[in-house]
Amino acid sequence: MSSEKTTVLIVEDEPEFRMRFKQIVESEPTLELIGVAANKREAQELIDRTKFDVMLIDLGLPDGNGTDLIRQVSAKRPDVDIMVVTVFGDEQHVVSAIEAGATGYILKDSTAADVVSCIRLLRAGGSPVSPVVARSVLRAIRNRMGGAGGGTTRPGGASPDNNPLSARETEILQLLAKGMSFNEIGEILGISPHTVTAHIKKIYRKLAVHSRGEAVYEATQMGLLRS
Amino acid sequence: MRTLRTLLILLAAAAALILSVPASATTLRSVDWTLTEIGAAPADDAQWQAYDLPLRWTSRPGEPLRGLTLRLRTTLEAPPTQAWAVLLSNASTGGRVSVNGRMVGEIRTADASTEVRWRRPHLLAIDPSLLVAGENTILIQTAYSSGVHFLAGVEVGPLAEVSREYGLRFFASTILPWIGGTLATCFALLFALLWLRRHDATIALVALASAFWVLRSAYFLIETVPVGAAVWLDLLFYVANGGFAVVMTLVLLRLAGRASGRAAWMPALYAAIGPALLIVTGGHAVPHLDRLWLPGLIGMVAIGLAYALLSRVRKHEALQIVVITAITVAIAAAAYDYGVAQGWLPEATMLALHWAGPLLLAALATPVVDRFVRVLRDAEGARGDLESRVREREQMLKRNYERLREGERVQATAAERQRIMQDMHDGLGTQLVSSLMLVERGALTQAQVAQILRESIDDMRLAIDALAQGNSDLLASLGNLRYRMEPRFRAAGIELIWDARDMPEELNINPDAVLPILRIVQESLTNALKHSQARAVSVALQVTQAGDDAPMLQIRVTDNGKGIAGERVGGRGLMNMRSRANKVGGTLTLESVPGTGTRVKFTYKLDEYHTGLTRTPTQLGLNTEAIIERFREGGG
Repeated sequence: MSSEKTTVLIVEDEPEFRMRFKQIVESEPTLELIGVAANKREAQELIDRTKFDVMLIDLGLPDGNGTDLIRQVSAKRPDVDIMVVTVFGDEQHVVSAIEAGATGYILKDSTAADVVSCIRLLRAGGSPVSPVVARSVLRAIRNRMGGAGGGTTRPGGASPDNNPLSARETEILQLLAKGMSFNEIGEILGISPHTVTAHIKKIYRKLAVHSRGEAVYEATQMGLLRS
Repeated sequence: MRTLRTLLILLAAAAALILSVPASATTLRSVDWTLTEIGAAPADDAQWQAYDLPLRWTSRPGEPLRGLTLRLRTTLEAPPTQAWAVLLSNASTGGRVSVNGRMVGEIRTADASTEVRWRRPHLLAIDPSLLVAGENTILIQTAYSSGVHFLAGVEVGPLAEVSREYGLRFFASTILPWIGGTLATCFALLFALLWLRRHDATIALVALASAFWVLRSAYFLIETVPVGAAVWLDLLFYVANGGFAVVMTLVLLRLAGRASGRAAWMPALYAAIGPALLIVTGGHAVPHLDRLWLPGLIGMVAIGLAYALLSRVRKHEALQIVVITAITVAIAAAAYDYGVAQGWLPEATMLALHWAGPLLLAALATPVVDRFVRVLRDAEGARGDLESRVREREQMLKRNYERLREGERVQATAAERQRIMQDMHDGLGTQLVSSLMLVERGALTQAQVAQILRESIDDMRLAIDALAQGNSDLLASLGNLRYRMEPRFRAAGIELIWDARDMPEELNINPDAVLPILRIVQESLTNALKHSQARAVSVALQVTQAGDDAPMLQIRVTDNGKGIAGERVGGRGLMNMRSRANKVGGTLTLESVPGTGTRVKFTYKLDEYHTGLTRTPTQLGLNTEAIIERFREGGG
């Protein structure tokens, strides 16, 4: 962890939550608030104008879906950690955000301590993940592989040519999906919990890169991009 | 118009070319005849008798072999300088040929054992030095026995000219019957084979006609016969002609729609007369039969033709017209040949029936071929029809499957909606309503309100975990519960141990059971968190299977707290847990030792929903396996 303050950008349309996140960041001495946006347009301005380490973003914005912004920021500034704010942490929202490039997510009703520790986890190179999300990520990756290994429980996933995950990463995801905590997984695999979360962040990045590659491929196919 | 005129001119030119007789070749018109000893030259005082050519003479069966010399004369203005030749187009008895006393060639003649009936022409070259200006004599020393004999078409002239005529005659007398006979053989075999496969009258008639034609062609191609067999050769000729005529008459009567038994027997009876009389008279009747019975056959076919024309006058089809025309042509050809043979018509280069016969056979075969083609077309059409119907059927099946699948989906959605409604009513709804009443009564502190709201949110998250699209994986949902409660346990200083390492990657169970089981575990954990004063709580998940029984899921929530006092074991929270367990067909047991801890044990029988596999939706069209799978998934 660097001694400098972590700079944070908040994108949240609901005033109540905007205020709350603002307060949490401002009252935490290691964090520094860079800006607050209530919609996509404002967020775009701030993204173009300022520099930040972490972006807290709500997906449902009045002038559109926040996924575009996530994709943009993660492509332009891979060093930025993007954290999605969600009410339920349900798989659909979270997985699509991860595919766009988000590396973390928090529930809207999280306590101040949760928010701060989540930001710390991200800056330390880790990522949080719930079992349902872990399972969804596994499924998403298997579906990407053309359904080849879609129905099996072979350890380490299916054919290594298509599977972007390493055997260890797949194993971690499988344990997470069963409800095991970082500590427990660390014990089972003989690694530190910190390494486990680092693996998860790598998995998120791989999923995002993978889906970005696919998006480019599809766009080329549709004639939207010149190859 | 111009095209037509050009065509006419060309035709006229071609006709002129064909009809033009070589100017320098001479056709001899008369012959002198005298009987001699066999093989001997005529005596000087021999009695010569003059005849016009063509000459036709007969000898009764059984008469002895006789020697004969024929003398022909031709006058030349000057001896020729190029090679000269004599062409005997139709000298049926053959013989030794000499010119001005010098032999120029010998054609086999009849002897004691063999009869000859030359139909082929013979070309004999003459050394020009043998010829003189003025009269030249050609002698043919020959012999004959029983039968009908000819001398016709004797030409003298330059070899080059006469050999052209020879080629034409040879083709007409020999090659043409070969062609006709070969063609008829092929037809006979083909249609006989067809008939074996399918007993059809038309096919049988074509096969018979072809067979008779083969016999007839053979007659014309056999030129030397042993003496005793000559009469059989005549019989062959009669049978062939009679049979062919009967078949033609039957074909015509069928066309006329009069192919009744009696109508069919009468021609057959007439046709049998010739061969019968020939056998009975031992060949003596042949000249009379030739003159009377053979034209009768022509008349018989002509009567059949008249029937066909009269009855079919209104509804002639193209193929019937072809057959009728071909028979008409054949009748004309036969009549022409008869006329030539009787000497009523000028001598012809070739017999017309040699042409007309094979053509007639081809015409007879056309209706059969046409029917075959039509049947083939129908069969192909039927197959195409069948294919399209199968395709239609396939489409229908596919649509039915899609409808079925759609129905299943709708049903599943309805079931899910039902589940959500029920859950809202029992869970969140009741909780919110009762909380509202408490708040309105002012009976709750702010902290209590916050607590109630938090629990409501927890409950809602639990429901979302359980109801998430396609989520019947109990393991991940339980994991999520643990993930959410972990911070609270941490805050309370209680260690939460989760042991799921021996579990399969996924545990899919009946979607109806997911939420109740989640609630049971949540309740157990909440109880432990709130009341147990434990230092650690462990959740152990296990799937066990004994023999062939369905596997059992066991969830044990154990704490090392103060235990539950006897009177609280029947408390409301526990009663709720029990009723939930019963509702999903599981059992719940509670063991509590005061001072040592509490263990809640829930066991649940995994039914056919259970699988350790991840299901990915199949998007194949008509994949039977996928359909069965879907039935299995959605049916129960």
